[in-house]
Amino acid sequence: MSGKAKAKKKGLSLVVRQNLIGYSFILPNFIGFFIFIFIPVIFSLVLSFSSWDGFNEIEFNGLNNFIDIFHDRVFVGAIWKTAYFSFFTVIFSMAASLILALLLNQKIKARGLFRCALFFPYVASVVAVSVVFNAMLQPDYGPVNEFLKFIGIANPPGWLASTDWVIPGLIIVNVWRNMGYFMIIYLAGLQNIDQSLYEAAEIDGAKGWARFWKITWPLLSPSTFFVVMMLIINSFKVFDLIYLMTQGGPGTASTMMSQYIYNQAFISWDYGKSSAAAMILFLIVALLTAFQFKAEKKFVNY
Amino acid sequence: MKKKFVKTMAVGLTAAMAATTLLAGCGGSGSDKTEGGSETVTLTFPVWDLASNPYLDDIVSGFEESHPDIKINVVDVAASEYTNKLSVMLNGGADCDIVYIKDADGTPSYAEKGQLEDLTEYAEKDGIDTSKYVSYDAFNLDGKQVAVPFKTDYYVLYYNKDIFDAAGVEYPSNDMTWSEWEEMCKKLTSGEGSSKIYGGYLHTWQACVENWAVQDGENTILGPDYSFMKPYYEMALRMQDEGTIMDYSTLKTSNINYASPFQQGTVATLPMGTWFSPVMIAKKAAGESDVNWGIATLPHPDGVPAGSTVGSTTPMGINANSKYKDQAWEFIKYACGEEGASKLIARGQMPAYQDDTTMESLAAYEGMPEGAAEAMKTTSIVLDRPIDSASAEVNQMLGEEHSLIMIKEKPIDDVLKEMSDRSKEIQGE
Amino acid sequence: MVKKKNPVTRVLIYVLLIALTVITLTPLIWMLSSSLKLDSEVFSVPIKWIPENPQWSNYAKIWEKIPLLTFTFNSVKLTVIITIIQVITSSFAAYGFAKCKFKGRNILFLLYVATMAIPWQVYMLPQYSLMNTFHLVDTHIGYILMQSFNAFGVFLMRQAFISIPDELLEAARIDGLSEYGIYAKIALPLSKASITTLVIFTFVTIWNDYMGPMIYLNTETKKTLQLGIQMFIGQYSTEYGLVMAVSVLALIPVLVIFLIGQKQFVQGIASSGIKG
Repeated sequence: MSGKAKAKKKGLSLVVRQNLIGYSFILPNFIGFFIFIFIPVIFSLVLSFSSWDGFNEIEFNGLNNFIDIFHDRVFVGAIWKTAYFSFFTVIFSMAASLILALLLNQKIKARGLFRCALFFPYVASVVAVSVVFNAMLQPDYGPVNEFLKFIGIANPPGWLASTDWVIPGLIIVNVWRNMGYFMIIYLAGLQNIDQSLYEAAEIDGAKGWARFWKITWPLLSPSTFFVVMMLIINSFKVFDLIYLMTQGGPGTASTMMSQYIYNQAFISWDYGKSSAAAMILFLIVALLTAFQFKAEKKFVNY
Repeated sequence: MKKKFVKTMAVGLTAAMAATTLLAGCGGSGSDKTEGGSETVTLTFPVWDLASNPYLDDIVSGFEESHPDIKINVVDVAASEYTNKLSVMLNGGADCDIVYIKDADGTPSYAEKGQLEDLTEYAEKDGIDTSKYVSYDAFNLDGKQVAVPFKTDYYVLYYNKDIFDAAGVEYPSNDMTWSEWEEMCKKLTSGEGSSKIYGGYLHTWQACVENWAVQDGENTILGPDYSFMKPYYEMALRMQDEGTIMDYSTLKTSNINYASPFQQGTVATLPMGTWFSPVMIAKKAAGESDVNWGIATLPHPDGVPAGSTVGSTTPMGINANSKYKDQAWEFIKYACGEEGASKLIARGQMPAYQDDTTMESLAAYEGMPEGAAEAMKTTSIVLDRPIDSASAEVNQMLGEEHSLIMIKEKPIDDVLKEMSDRSKEIQGE
Repeated sequence: MVKKKNPVTRVLIYVLLIALTVITLTPLIWMLSSSLKLDSEVFSVPIKWIPENPQWSNYAKIWEKIPLLTFTFNSVKLTVIITIIQVITSSFAAYGFAKCKFKGRNILFLLYVATMAIPWQVYMLPQYSLMNTFHLVDTHIGYILMQSFNAFGVFLMRQAFISIPDELLEAARIDGLSEYGIYAKIALPLSKASITTLVIFTFVTIWNDYMGPMIYLNTETKKTLQLGIQMFIGQYSTEYGLVMAVSVLALIPVLVIFLIGQKQFVQGIASSGIKG
């Protein structure tokens, strides 16, 4: 009996049936997601239009929180710093992880060990990572600056002890942490590419770069879409690394939006302002997501 | 369509929150009928660093022994997240009967929300001698005694006797000004590279510069004018340039904790809180440090009497939503009273409840250096951060600006001006 | 694919990889060396890579000072359960999002993805209140429920299913397979690499999660390894030697999972199904 006939017997139209099947797939995950994540998230976004100390009654106060945070120089600065930090983190992390995945997808010796080593930064305790990179980027005797002096740069940057160089320093550390993680996603994506396509390309005479641009890159586009999305989200939300490495300093030179959100909620106990700042973060990321989705429809090859 | 959804959501959320508020307090701590008919009550008591603060266990077991009908459920939380967790517990309606406040300046934020019970009547009923407590009245907010001081700590000057002997410098006296200290550090500094001995040490906390500026009790970190801090920042930068203290950016970027350089014997004098004594004693007992150390009174600003120092007090209060307030008060009376004090002293810690014998018994604690009793005598203890609802936020801001001065990114005057502007913004709200 | 490469290129690749690996492994070496030091030596300047007299006793002390066995057991239990739930429910939902057509699909998916942009600290308090209402605070089940249903897994698996050609599924439908059958017999086997990725990521995230257990677990016997590490970090002093010793031990299971999992990333396995 065909599906269609079955549906008719039960008195359900194909569309309803399709809908029901779709919902049945989503449901198990959605129930949990809705209760434990979605409701709290919506609740906290509603808070952005109110003043709340976390305990007593919630008073709605319209757009006051938004007016307040946009008058706060720390927050306005944080938006730009976050954008700056995220832009370069996304570009460099994506490039690095793709290159690594392509390298480590080949038959080379000790491949598993190399992969494991490169994934390690993501697994390593952030405490250890922050300590080691603080030492590596130490302005006076750190290995990075020693090396820069060795190749003839007389005045190497002050890195984490300088307001101008702290963000580039953090970008380096973050790219280093990210590359192994996203390498895995690219590696998984590479496994999904049908080998016969390469064989066909071989017959057509496509080699090297041409092969990469014609087959690998387009077929990796779902992975790239995912990698870019996750990089944007993660770098806009970056918290623990900066919290441990610079506490947002020197001054407020590396205070990102998530730091601000945290400080408002847990130092100033102002959940309204904290939620308002989170709302702005949410809007920025949502906008970038929507833009990406548009792009996905156009470019993602499936 | 969309509007309807939003409306439904809003109603649902309000209902959920209302339910939460109603249900708050109906949780785990509770009472069990024992066979004899008397009820056993369990109180929830969140603490931090249980393992490294054995006096907490001493107090809890001592209390349970003398109060067989009350059990204490200790919830151990990591120090760095304690304040977060405590407020999530209080705000989220979880059980928590005794509110042990880690940073005293956070007290108003709980009190303003109405989360702390007014203890005035309890104290009167039981005839508590409030004069025996260090900064008891500081926790009287708007006429309500919201907490009772449990433990206190203040800054003293730790020094390494061997370095003084080697340099032929006399041990620091209990009456010394900050400029005398600065001079002394010059004489004690020697060597180069990794074997260098530093005469002094100022930790990276803003407190380790700004505390000396508020020591006279005339100004507080709330400012909003911060020019009074200038001499101390100048001193810190001067000492950094002369190499008598370690460089701020080195300390910061290499995560150096004040304890290590002192325990390794590379620092001659260290202004630090009294909490450091039990740590030193434990390290020496474990054979992990062989520093021959001493304690002197904290140096003081010119024109301020010797023995005036800066400190902080750790208080305990009762959750206003607790079902067992009377039992919680029994615990606070015990922990913050004479019994608790003797248990703190037995572990080398300084109680907030003090009488004539407190300093003597503390100085007699095994491993405490000679002359500790003299050195720990105070004429006044100024609170490092005033008990004010803006304190935490201002302190956060000061920490940010502090680093700009110490890494010499901006001139002192500019930063002090910036501090003042931001402080006004925070407190103006 | 496997072509003989120019030997110079090969050497360059190895040099690059080895250089990266060395940089990458420095924190591990630092952790190892610190785990054998006294606290006062951990941050000595300049860094001493080889401890002067290794404190092997650090590795004994950590078992005496905290109930490490209980913590490890709890961590393993929570991580395994959450990983299983996460992989099953999110791949199931992802199939719906990728290959079923139904009303509101795109909106629902956007909702999922958008929640990822909200830092947890922002909704931590409402979530806690909710859990407290259900009496789920300080229970393992509460933590499991809270961690099992995030958007990340759904998103990751959706991207994997999307790259499966529709013609393949259509063929299966004609053969009489139901959508559930297609999910189980075609989509899942074709996405082994992505499932492995999800397993690795979920495992690592839950294993290393600190804030979640910190806020939700109170009782000593319910705590996890990451909370154990924090027990050596005190208000005024930190026993870094011991912190690093526990951290090194905590790394082992994760690296084992990774080493097993990464074998899935061998070109050819995934494509075998499509060729038929």
